[in-house]
Amino acid sequence: MVIMAADRQAVALGLGPGMKLADARARVPELLAFDHDPLADASLLARLAEACERYTPMVAAEPPDALILDISGAAHFYESETALAQDAEDRLDAVGHAICWALAGTPDAALALARHGLKEGAEAQLPVSALAMDAKTHQALERAGLYRIGDLAERPRANLAARFGMELTLRLDRILGSEDRPIDPLRRVGNIVTERRFAEPLTHIDAALTCLSELFAEAAERLNQRGQGARMIRILLFRCDGDVARLGIETGAPTRDAALFKRLLRERIEALNDALNPGFGYDLIRLSIVAADPLAPQQLRLEGGEDRQGDAIALVSQLSTRLGRERVQTFAPADSHIPEQGLLALPALNAPAPVPWRVKPSGDPPTRPLHMFDPPQRVQVIAEVPDGPPHRFTWRRKSHQVIRYEGPERIASEWWQRPDGQQPGNGGLTRDYYRVEDARGRRYWLFRHGLYGEEKANPDWYVHGLFA
Amino acid sequence: MNNSDSDSGGAFGLSPANSPAEPKTAGQKAAALKARLGKILAASGVKAAEDADSPSHFGFGVNRVDAALRGNADQPGLPRAALHELHAADKSDRSSAAALALLLAQRCRALGSDRKPILWISESGQARRQGRLYPPGLAELGIDPSGIIHVDAPDSIAVLRAAADGIRSPAMGAVIAELSGRKPRGLDLTATRRLSLSAQKSGVLGLLLRCGGDADNPLPTAAFSRWQVAAAPSVPLAANAPGHSVFDISLLRHRSGLYGLSARLEWNRDDQVFREQQQSHERAPYPGAVPALSAGRADHPGTRAA
Repeated sequence: MVIMAADRQAVALGLGPGMKLADARARVPELLAFDHDPLADASLLARLAEACERYTPMVAAEPPDALILDISGAAHFYESETALAQDAEDRLDAVGHAICWALAGTPDAALALARHGLKEGAEAQLPVSALAMDAKTHQALERAGLYRIGDLAERPRANLAARFGMELTLRLDRILGSEDRPIDPLRRVGNIVTERRFAEPLTHIDAALTCLSELFAEAAERLNQRGQGARMIRILLFRCDGDVARLGIETGAPTRDAALFKRLLRERIEALNDALNPGFGYDLIRLSIVAADPLAPQQLRLEGGEDRQGDAIALVSQLSTRLGRERVQTFAPADSHIPEQGLLALPALNAPAPVPWRVKPSGDPPTRPLHMFDPPQRVQVIAEVPDGPPHRFTWRRKSHQVIRYEGPERIASEWWQRPDGQQPGNGGLTRDYYRVEDARGRRYWLFRHGLYGEEKANPDWYVHGLFA
Repeated sequence: MNNSDSDSGGAFGLSPANSPAEPKTAGQKAAALKARLGKILAASGVKAAEDADSPSHFGFGVNRVDAALRGNADQPGLPRAALHELHAADKSDRSSAAALALLLAQRCRALGSDRKPILWISESGQARRQGRLYPPGLAELGIDPSGIIHVDAPDSIAVLRAAADGIRSPAMGAVIAELSGRKPRGLDLTATRRLSLSAQKSGVLGLLLRCGGDADNPLPTAAFSRWQVAAAPSVPLAANAPGHSVFDISLLRHRSGLYGLSARLEWNRDDQVFREQQQSHERAPYPGAVPALSAGRADHPGTRAA
């Protein structure tokens, strides 16, 4: 086992990454060692990145141990860029993270400086290993007497490129600041972002909600200018001790309605598993419109009266926010003759336009049940072999005498979906459906699973649905 | 009011106006009482005349039943802007009760000019155990599945909350809330009173579907009417095949004090209307009960072959 990371005390004792654990134990017998958990590290880094969104919306995590903040034009809340970085250091220090930071024109330069404990403008003093090429290249550079980035910078690029490849000159340019690299921020910047900062943190939820309503009204004003309505809203509540609460709201139709937003927000907060805890208070509240759709200003009806369509969508949005979007559904037909696959239950929030259902010619009673069991339930059936109708069946410990029946309606399995389905025996079991009615007038949908003798020696029977 | 044939039809609706001891004086008294009652009802807002163009009542489309349901109101049938309760007679009658609720909602929705959606709310655990709504089956009953918003609520409290929100919104055609068990949590007089008041205000039909409840000793609710629904043997088609859906319904409670009304109804998909079946022992040759089956089946012999 090898040491992956060591704390300050361990480093002071001469231990460090790359050392074998047995050697370290031999030197320091009372060493405390924990298993390396890269996933936990990554999630911690992601959480820190989120907390750093208070400084700028452009935060990228640079695994395993770095964060890149693009603070161009975002430092005006602080006296200087250094003050901003100092503030970040103080906050992270308060929650127990020791950090090194550096400011530079490009992300690579800042990373290299921070990793080597240098400050802005000291790029020339960086060792060549800051280029993060492979060990062989580093060795070759040092053998040529080039120990520092400054030494490399003086050399003509063409010779370097010919000797070590274009990769080296590209990295060199990036560290020296003549070549920029785009960062991949944690999330896309929303279309419209409104935020409030508080000198004195808000410690009451109600105050935060009022503030959010005002923010939404501001955002709605800007949406109105663009002729759009919000579909997806993201809310970030930054607590002054570094914790960030995230809320997302989705609506069924583009909206600029502040009352609807307020209602949905209340639903969303009530539906949270662990209630919002303001703790020491929120000092920054941000609301961003992540997705928006065109929404023309609506004309009121001349004769008065409210708009019904909008009300229905508002209700769907409200129920989806409270119960979850998967729990409020509309139905659409699916192209399959297997009964349980003949429908799609889609979230009503963004359901497509309704599709007409195929209805059989009139005059016949329904051939499909009103309620369906998924999966079908086993029943014991007395029926003639090989393919006679059921005479009597036992379901849920009750025996039912079949008075009337119709069938079979034979539904083959989708053998073309199976591997080697065209071979006999691989095609799946055929179902023979019967519509039956018992003595009390209940109507059931039973099926025999498999053809007697051909597909199965002793086919099972199931009840698949109940008719009205 | 056609109470002349109600003796022959077995059970029938009793309304206070048509059981006079002395026809002359009692008739006048009844008229005076009716006028007074009308005033009280108007003041209490039972008849929410929210939509002037669409009728305030809906019915089964069976004259005898609708007329008997008139009660003290001025129109036959049941009021739309109210909460009604449907009890499944037995656990295995759940599908029949659900179908009746959907069909009543469909009939009520058809009265309006715009096709408003039906909000169906059920408990998810119940749906898993007892089967869930199957849209192709709905389509075959004549109900368009795309007009249904299906809500899977985690528990009975959530069902009632969603129902309250749905009934409050005038954009809904009807709201059906399904609750099972002897005593669902949260279902009480207060909750149902809230639902029925919202229904009066918004004009949305509310249907409370109860399954597995105690039919003899039901929970007190503020519903306008309470019905018991059971499956009934259908009129067989050729080759003894099961026929159209048939329901046995009986009125357990009504605001106007009606009781004892029961009927056996068959749903006719093409006319979107119920037909009454005679409850006699021999198979009834009621002309409306079996709508032109033989002709239809002769025309489409292939459609029903397996």
